[in-house]
Amino acid sequence: MSKESLFKEIFEANSKKIYHLCYGYTGDDESANDLMQETFMKVWQNLDKFRNQALISTWIYRIAVNTCLSYLRVEKRHPKDELTDNIIETKGEEISEKNEQISSLYKCIAQLEENERIIITMVLDELPYAEIAAISGISEGNLRVKIHRIKQKLTEIYNKYERF
Amino acid sequence: MKDFEALKVIWHNQITLPKVSHEDVFKKIRKAKNGLSRRLLIEIIGMCIATIAILSIWWIIPFTMWTTHLAIIIFLACCLYYIIAMIGNYQQINYDKLINKPEDYINYLKAYKEKRYVLNTRKYRLYSIFLSLGFLLYFVEMSFLMPQWLTILALVLTFSWIAYSSFVLMRIYIKREESKLEGMIHNLERIQKQFEDNDL
Repeated sequence: MSKESLFKEIFEANSKKIYHLCYGYTGDDESANDLMQETFMKVWQNLDKFRNQALISTWIYRIAVNTCLSYLRVEKRHPKDELTDNIIETKGEEISEKNEQISSLYKCIAQLEENERIIITMVLDELPYAEIAAISGISEGNLRVKIHRIKQKLTEIYNKYERF
Repeated sequence: MKDFEALKVIWHNQITLPKVSHEDVFKKIRKAKNGLSRRLLIEIIGMCIATIAILSIWWIIPFTMWTTHLAIIIFLACCLYYIIAMIGNYQQINYDKLINKPEDYINYLKAYKEKRYVLNTRKYRLYSIFLSLGFLLYFVEMSFLMPQWLTILALVLTFSWIAYSSFVLMRIYIKREESKLEGMIHNLERIQKQFEDNDL
């Protein structure tokens, strides 16, 4: 398989989830696309190194997480409030109820801490706990406790948000 | 009241899709490269037109002095030298396999930047010197055919143009080209460095 076809296959298998991670992290569609593009540029640039990695999705997720962290450090952005407000305001009444729920969910995710945002998007995308532990560098035991707390926190924020 | 499972359902219902394709990733790297290739190609075509024009003048006008013939030979040699140098550069930047060797791409760009710098400075200086010599020899015959004031005016305008090209335009050109290449190298190195720092 040529390098280009391998990359295409990897991209198609992972891009959607990586985009969700970036979107959950930045809360902004444009930035999420930029970050996803940068992530896959790194993947392409270092595809040879991947051959030693056990699981490509773990490897790509780690690149994406680091890319998001670097992005925020460089941009000095705090996506907590702006992002989903923006989504709701700009798209306004046109968006369907489903989209509104998604926007609310992203807005609530934006209120979590940095590492919580990363973990929860992976949980929502149903990544195995072992993989999330490998990506986030937390032991599986600690991760389970952490995930439990984040789930509770997000649910609370969402329900509170829905009431208003 | 919703539980986490309900949030998960909402999450999986989302239709927001990434707007970036794998092709876009390649395009981003290729875009800068293609910009350089296009400019080089335009330069090659421009120089070919100039060569044809010089050959036509040489063929049509019956010059009588050896200095003019020598001047035209120098002009043609300059054009040929420039075309060969440009074609070499154009072929290098169009070497498609480079995109398949990302790890070599940074080193290639650095070497290319060096080569372009030598071409745009040392080699261009030599080219300008010969071009000036060619014009000096050419104006020997012209001085017998044209009024003195017109010869002086043509000489002043020609050498002013050569000086302006060498000291103003060429510097701007070098700066622009260098910053474009530097940008490409910087972006690729930044990615590489982040990757190493993260020690994935």
